[in-house]
Amino acid sequence: MNDWLNLYDFFFYKLHHLMVWLTAGTFLESSGADIGFFLATMIMCLITFGSIMSSMFVILWIERKLYARVNDRRGATTALRSLWVGENGVTAGEWWNMIPYGLGKPIGALNGWLNKVAGNDGHSHEMVNRVGNRSWYGVTIFPGFFQNLADGMKFMIKEHMVPERADKVIFEVAPFLVISSTIMILGLIPLSSGIYGANPELSVLFAFAIFGIAPLGVFFAGWSSNNKYTLLGGIRSAAQLTAYEIPLLLSILSVCIMAGSFNFIEIVNFQHSAGVWLLFLMPLGAVLYLVSMIAEVERIPFDMPEAEAELVEGWWTEYGGMRFGLLFAAEYMRVYAACILFAHFFLGGWASPFAGLVPGGPLIPGIIWTLLKAWFIFTVIFVWARTALPRIRTDQILEFGWRMLLPLSFLQVVLAVIYRLYLFDASALADTTSGGWAWDFMGIPWGVPILTTAFWLGVFWVFMNDENLEEDQERMFHVQTLTPAGKHTAGQE
Amino acid sequence: MAEMWITMGPQHPMTHGLWTMRVKVDGETITDTEAELGYIHRGVEKICEARDFTQITPYCDRLCYVSAMTWSHSYVMAAEDLLEAEVPERAEYIRLMAAEIQRLASHLMWLGAFGPDIGNLTLMTWCLRDREMFLDLLQELGGSRMHYNFPRVGGVKRDIPIGWADRMRAKVKLFEHRISEYEMLLDESTIWLVRLQGVGYATAEDQINAGVTGPNIRAAGVNTDARWTNPYSVYDQVDWEPAVEKPTSIKGADCYDRYRVRMEEMRQSCRMLLDAIEKIPGGSNTHYQPGDEMILTKAPTRAPEGATGFSTYECTRGVSQFYLQGGGDSRGKNPYRVSVRSPIFITIPYVAKLMIGYKIADIPAIMGSFDPCIGESDR
Amino acid sequence: MGIAITKEQNSIAASAIADAISKRFSDGGVNAESVAHSNDKKFDFVRITCEPNRWRAVAKWMRYEGGVNHCSMVTGTHFPDGPAERGWEVVVHLMKWPISNVAAHTMVVHDASKFKTEDVPMEFEVVIPLAAGDSPTVPTVQDIWVGADWNEKETWDLVGIDFEGHVNMHRVLNPHDSPIGFHPLQRQHKIRYHDFNEMYDDPQGFGRKPVDEGRVK
Repeated sequence: MNDWLNLYDFFFYKLHHLMVWLTAGTFLESSGADIGFFLATMIMCLITFGSIMSSMFVILWIERKLYARVNDRRGATTALRSLWVGENGVTAGEWWNMIPYGLGKPIGALNGWLNKVAGNDGHSHEMVNRVGNRSWYGVTIFPGFFQNLADGMKFMIKEHMVPERADKVIFEVAPFLVISSTIMILGLIPLSSGIYGANPELSVLFAFAIFGIAPLGVFFAGWSSNNKYTLLGGIRSAAQLTAYEIPLLLSILSVCIMAGSFNFIEIVNFQHSAGVWLLFLMPLGAVLYLVSMIAEVERIPFDMPEAEAELVEGWWTEYGGMRFGLLFAAEYMRVYAACILFAHFFLGGWASPFAGLVPGGPLIPGIIWTLLKAWFIFTVIFVWARTALPRIRTDQILEFGWRMLLPLSFLQVVLAVIYRLYLFDASALADTTSGGWAWDFMGIPWGVPILTTAFWLGVFWVFMNDENLEEDQERMFHVQTLTPAGKHTAGQE
Repeated sequence: MAEMWITMGPQHPMTHGLWTMRVKVDGETITDTEAELGYIHRGVEKICEARDFTQITPYCDRLCYVSAMTWSHSYVMAAEDLLEAEVPERAEYIRLMAAEIQRLASHLMWLGAFGPDIGNLTLMTWCLRDREMFLDLLQELGGSRMHYNFPRVGGVKRDIPIGWADRMRAKVKLFEHRISEYEMLLDESTIWLVRLQGVGYATAEDQINAGVTGPNIRAAGVNTDARWTNPYSVYDQVDWEPAVEKPTSIKGADCYDRYRVRMEEMRQSCRMLLDAIEKIPGGSNTHYQPGDEMILTKAPTRAPEGATGFSTYECTRGVSQFYLQGGGDSRGKNPYRVSVRSPIFITIPYVAKLMIGYKIADIPAIMGSFDPCIGESDR
Repeated sequence: MGIAITKEQNSIAASAIADAISKRFSDGGVNAESVAHSNDKKFDFVRITCEPNRWRAVAKWMRYEGGVNHCSMVTGTHFPDGPAERGWEVVVHLMKWPISNVAAHTMVVHDASKFKTEDVPMEFEVVIPLAAGDSPTVPTVQDIWVGADWNEKETWDLVGIDFEGHVNMHRVLNPHDSPIGFHPLQRQHKIRYHDFNEMYDDPQGFGRKPVDEGRVK
């Protein structure tokens, strides 16, 4: 179902007519349409790239703030109270009282409510006020949003150093490979059915072919810096990225098999016309995609190539100034692209939830839905995993990728084929606002996704509860006692 | 591919201190190591020969700065052995509580550095946050957050302030819940277990022969804690048990066992604190003035030539010993020789050889699980 | 109440070991006695005074028959003003920590009532006086206890006592390029600028000599 906000067609037709009309009668007459197409594509690329880059501030902001919250580094109201800083860094305290006409009173009330609900007052530990206002649902507002813009400017004015015995040509080329391939993908990813830079027929294939160039740049960087640490980091990275390309591509292949197309827009439209998001039809594929993507973009728990503890930034170590800044930005752009792609493949792209059941058309433009879904996935999966998990050792990462993810992704491909061939009702596709019902099963509406989701949730539940409790007891601490312990038991009042 | 030597040089985020480990790697596997210490050798033993017995105490704080109370306590015990001084019981209780709070703070610092080494950056902020509670308590006793100069030959410098007991109880009780929270984050995380289990095996016999002590051998199933094998202070009157972990493999203790031992030691320290504050003679909410005989006896200040004294003390990282010989300058006011035994000085070369055969990525896991602190090793 | 070994058990064990050593090395050169600390809460330990040429024999007995499995500290002291037969002294602290065979899944139980005399943990102090002179030498016990290895390196590095038979002796605390023969803890080296009077009378170092600029002094 195409979104109503169709900028591409708008610019294309406008510029087409404009250029044809402008070049009529001149020597450029035969190429007027092409010039129009070129200009339209350029404008669309700018719009797409601009929206992604400006909304990337949200990604970085979410990461910082959520990470800080999970680390208990922020109280519920720290951001609020620190908004006004005076001379010598003195904060104005309850600065909202200084706003004229009493307009600041709601802020004061919010501050008080947050402290009551999410601050230390809820616990009986007055003695330990120093250890942070603990809460699991603190609210932080905009302060800090443009921190990353300042970071970018800082990178620009920093010194660019090339190590003396580095291979200079490759040293300079490597960041370009990484960054340019990342940015090129952004031109292919549609933010909505009408907002994209380019839409070739096999756009998924093309996008992931480009996505796979970056490991080459990483390896170049690691080798050319003439530094044993970066070499190790580059090698680890090359091995890891190669290992996880395959489960990634196989899970995307299963998405394309299910949807019957290699085109982003058609995949998203398929989800709407068939009536259900692909997440519920192939949860295994979604999980595989997420895990492989986290490994591909080298985030914790898979960030061994840049593990600070051993390698001090790994293959990035020798880069300074804007090259480092761009590599850093490229990593986040890859993360963002991964989130947007997850939203397209599995979460229905620019369709609103329950779009098929809500009568009438969508009110909010599709691009907003896409971005919201991408931010949601980023928050819940990428950032949360980063805060809570340690990193896995390289050989364990490789073993996990080759020996566990690869067979599962094969299984997912087989399942996708089975689903598409035998459980899919092609006649029930409907490209209308209310979608179709192509996945019914023996009369149960949406039977296939319901049963599939129930099955995989059951598998998950079984794995969670299947613990060898005895083994845990053996490993856990055993006190060697002489006389029975005293009256006080550690951990209880 | 040829083997290459990598220098995990003096400046490195992993080394937790200033020392070098040169590692010969074949791909990712370690084939040989060399450890070099001595970067922060400050000559404490030589300096102490020109100092009074009381003036040496601040130097001992700075030996292992993360665990300062235990080191000055250890020195002061040796000085009392040399000078044959008595210590009032209330002072012993205060020293015990200070040492156990310091043990908590030191283990939290260890965990706060160990977690990020493995990759879990959340632990750093959580542990430092909780460590603040204990640093506040020690600040009330000693005046500063890190180098306290608190024990004196014959007692302690000042008594516990009024209200300190209530604050300590509240904080320790909160902290016990926080330990459970750490265990929830870590012990139920497959990645944590996969990184630590099966890595860094060290058997008990090898370790004892090599001079490794403390939580590292208790992780190998050996119930040896200097607090009961060489008893001192009032540890025999306080409720506690040594934290021993029995390894499940004959190959010895792995990193996970050492981590578990320290977590359990933190629990035991909490238990000791809550018990000691009930049993302290003179009451927990009374404050005696500095110099009062309840907390400080007048100790002799001169040691004759030929007299010796030593202490065997369970520091946070192992067994530390001070050996003092009397009869130095100023007609015996200074010691003739001060010799310090640092557990980490012996552990680091042992661990460096232990790492052969594992991967580079295991170096922070193994090194971190042995808890090095270079201040005490280099003196 | 923790683990408790009673004082009597410890005293009995200390005396027993001291007697065993004295009996074994009754042909002279070795003197063993059990010594009590001034603080009677602390346990007794065994002090052995032995001559350098008997040190290895004593060490081997202690390790293989006495069960002393831990070498804790090796200290060296320089007595330039002392008697001629005690110009240098090496003091070795050792410990005996009984450990059973720690096989998998067995518990090591220390019940005080089950302690046999030879199971009681014990501490040892071995004092080896050396004759005054320029080259004090003591046989090494590096092959008997691995823990003695770096302790002996440190003692040689700081005090200058040679350990005969020690493999791979090198500087551990001083820089590797320290001058040969420079062992800072010998008494002829004075601490410059950190001695008590200088430090307190001139805390900012205005009286330091320009020739010492940049030197670690």
